[in-house]
Amino acid sequence: MEIISHLLDGFAVAGSPTNLMICLIGAFLGTVIGMLPGLGPINGVAILLPIAYAMKLPPESALILLAAVYSGCEFGGRISAILINVPGDAGAVMTTLDGYPMARKGLAGPALSISAVASFSGAIIATLGIVALAPILANWALAFGPAEYFALMVLALSCLGGLVGDSLLKAMVGVLIGLMISCVGIDANSGVYRYTFDLLHLSDGIPFIVVVIGLFAVSELMLMLQSHHGGAQAVEVTGRTMFNMKEFMLARWTILRSSVVGFFVGVLPGAGASIASAMTYSMERRMAGKDHCFGDGDVRGVAAPEAANNASAYGSLIPMLTLGVPGSGTTAVMIGALTLYNITPGPTLFQDQPVIVWGLIASLAISSVLLVLMNIPLVKVFVKFLQIPNWVLVPGVAAVSMVGVYAVHGTTFDLIVGTLLGGFGYLLRVMNFPMAPFILGFVLGDMMEQNLRRALSISNGEVSILFSSPISIGLWVAAIAMLVGPRLAKAFEARRNRLAQA
Amino acid sequence: MSERIFGIFLLLVSAAGIYIGWDLKAPISYEPVGPRAFPLLVFTLLGICSLGLMLSKRPATEWAPSPVLMRVGGMFLVVLAYALLFDKLGFVISTALMSVPLARLFGGNWKQSLIAGAGLGVVLFLLFDKLLDVVLPTGFWLKPLLG
Repeated sequence: MEIISHLLDGFAVAGSPTNLMICLIGAFLGTVIGMLPGLGPINGVAILLPIAYAMKLPPESALILLAAVYSGCEFGGRISAILINVPGDAGAVMTTLDGYPMARKGLAGPALSISAVASFSGAIIATLGIVALAPILANWALAFGPAEYFALMVLALSCLGGLVGDSLLKAMVGVLIGLMISCVGIDANSGVYRYTFDLLHLSDGIPFIVVVIGLFAVSELMLMLQSHHGGAQAVEVTGRTMFNMKEFMLARWTILRSSVVGFFVGVLPGAGASIASAMTYSMERRMAGKDHCFGDGDVRGVAAPEAANNASAYGSLIPMLTLGVPGSGTTAVMIGALTLYNITPGPTLFQDQPVIVWGLIASLAISSVLLVLMNIPLVKVFVKFLQIPNWVLVPGVAAVSMVGVYAVHGTTFDLIVGTLLGGFGYLLRVMNFPMAPFILGFVLGDMMEQNLRRALSISNGEVSILFSSPISIGLWVAAIAMLVGPRLAKAFEARRNRLAQA
Repeated sequence: MSERIFGIFLLLVSAAGIYIGWDLKAPISYEPVGPRAFPLLVFTLLGICSLGLMLSKRPATEWAPSPVLMRVGGMFLVVLAYALLFDKLGFVISTALMSVPLARLFGGNWKQSLIAGAGLGVVLFLLFDKLLDVVLPTGFWLKPLLG
């Protein structure tokens, strides 16, 4: 029962008055950030990370803050989805389908409260899943050598190519540009300056925060201006705020099922909250048979995506914690947070830094409890934040983003690089390039190169070491399957449709 | 069209990357794979993908109508100027200067925008620098005033 004692230690860390306070603040900020359209978990975590670092928070507190913000965002996204029909973050897209119709019918209160409970259930079930699964996976991953790691990272990147968006080519271009940016700076093994163009500021490479804030925060603001129109009117929350028994009984199995499915989808690298919520929504719709009003304000249509959304967000912490390989944009940013503190995520983390790992896991549970307690009674307070006009919000976000970049090195150079990357990111996003591959490529670049070189050093330059162990062969096969599989499935379906028509 | 242009741009970038990367050699080598192998691999793959972007047939990118693009471009320049002046003018003044045009772009009237600019500059400075201990540039003018 080692795990239970670890977990208790974790609760002792996360439950200290300071960390509890940090958790509360993070959960509140997270809800607001998640709710505001245009700001999501990636920007939220990316902007707060350097600030937490500059405030000299100890690593476990910083990570608890980020985890609380992360969970808060997943809770917050639903509020704007239900009230103004605009998803606050990508995971809440499906929530608009039934949430907004419910709000229009005067059922905004029940929609918000049942989705809060669904989010809570997703979060708790996924936390239990992490407790059960993560130590086992970490133990198993201890056997990984550099060759296996390299194959694993190729798998993580190819999952993105298989699952993100429609275009494999665009995802690959994204990954490669990310890898390219990661090559800039002094090479740790040989001391050779690579692609620094004799600029002193580039010798350590481009800092992670600069890339993330540029690509996500700055470009997001530019996109907001592009789609800016007067501002949407929120549906007012009137009538009862709680769901009734009948609504709960209708949704309870939906909530449980979606939580479990969402968790497992989240564990897969590359598949994130948006895929999990879309999957469970259509699954529940199909299972409901004839007796439903999905798309027209069905409670199950609000409960399913929200439970899945939170569960998958937590599930995606598993590859990050156990393997050190992030499966999503936000967890990539959290890896960046760990490296700022000189902590290398990966299987040894569970042995070397139990305080951090278990403190983080305990704080996930604590923040979900705080969030559900906060979200149901305080919903009217949160709604007030939706009324912040863009002419205050946007300059505010721009200023806070700059503060985040400035906090790293305090140089004008970083600020300019971040802004230029923002402009670049805007162009890419208009051309429909998915952004997660960039950041994953950038985060994984250094790790990939190091593991590749280490593996080849072991084998004295023999490339066959990359495919020599059963684990690495399995990972390569999985990587190829992830790239080819979805396309084959699509081709088969097209063929079947053609045959059916003929 | 824009994707093709981007493809050409990436092809040039990868060519330049390979050209520069070719000379990246360690003076003394301890390992079979030196500093240039990985970048060369990445740039080569990028070059192949950029050819794919140039040749593939896709629905054209939908750019926003040009008045909107002008505004977005204007916003980019404002943020760039903000980045340039952040350290020199200090946080309060540069933030106020950045906020006013941004607020105007996002539908605030002059009065609202001026209030937003002044308010954000002062409030965020107090919040970060004084309350949260995140050191912000004061600029050449505020330092003597703060003593």
